[in-house]
Amino acid sequence: MKLRLSPQTLLVLDAFLERAEEWKYGYDLSRVTGLKSGTLYPILMRLAEKQLLETQWEAGEPGKPPRHMYRFTPDGLRFARANAAGSADASLGQVALGLAEG
Amino acid sequence: MGAPRTLAAKLLRAVVRLAPAESRDWAAAMLRELDFIEGDLAALLWALGSAAAILRHAASVWRAWLQRKSEKETRMNKTGKKVLGIGLGMLSALALVGCAFASLRILGILFPGLEHSSWAYWLAVMAIPEAIFVAATVMLWRKKGPIAAGILATGLVMALHVAVHFTLHW
Repeated sequence: MKLRLSPQTLLVLDAFLERAEEWKYGYDLSRVTGLKSGTLYPILMRLAEKQLLETQWEAGEPGKPPRHMYRFTPDGLRFARANAAGSADASLGQVALGLAEG
Repeated sequence: MGAPRTLAAKLLRAVVRLAPAESRDWAAAMLRELDFIEGDLAALLWALGSAAAILRHAASVWRAWLQRKSEKETRMNKTGKKVLGIGLGMLSALALVGCAFASLRILGILFPGLEHSSWAYWLAVMAIPEAIFVAATVMLWRKKGPIAAGILATGLVMALHVAVHFTLHW
């Protein structure tokens, strides 16, 4: 699978691996990974385009617009387990030190 | 709702409205998340980052569309060039046949009786042009395939015409 595994992408994969079966929201992912929306969403879009992530609109409370949520596909889960394990810790350090590109 | 948050919401609503269809869902998702962000300044920063992300995504969608369009145009140009080449080959071959007829007429004027001689007729109108067609087809086949195909097609039509003529009259 051709996907650029930047430290930020690894962070996102790592965040999805936490309780992988659960749906996750964009802002929650941003808080967990520390990534800004301008960095996080392009990664989510790429993952979804590669069929590694499934997306769904959550039917919320009546009168309120639905919320978009994300979860690994089986392929995505396999890909993340193969690539994110071990490398996310190192990338966390890189991001914290500002070594990684945006 | 503070001014930065209002501005953030307005910006993201505009992004949702203006985004191409492929990016609109994502823009709407970013707009919805705005309701869960604490702090007005954080909301504005979220909106600015989201707008940039959508702009990049839209740009990549447009780039892919332009690339597909350009590939399609290139394919169409190639087909057009082939058709033009075949037409040019056929026109060249017909011009040669016309020249052969004209030469025969001139020779007929210069040497009365020659025009009505059957061997001169077949040599000038059939054998020499056909030999030239075959030679031209062989020479042009690799570098100017469509032109060669046009010449060959004309030669074949002429040969067929002669075969029909022989069948009917002899």
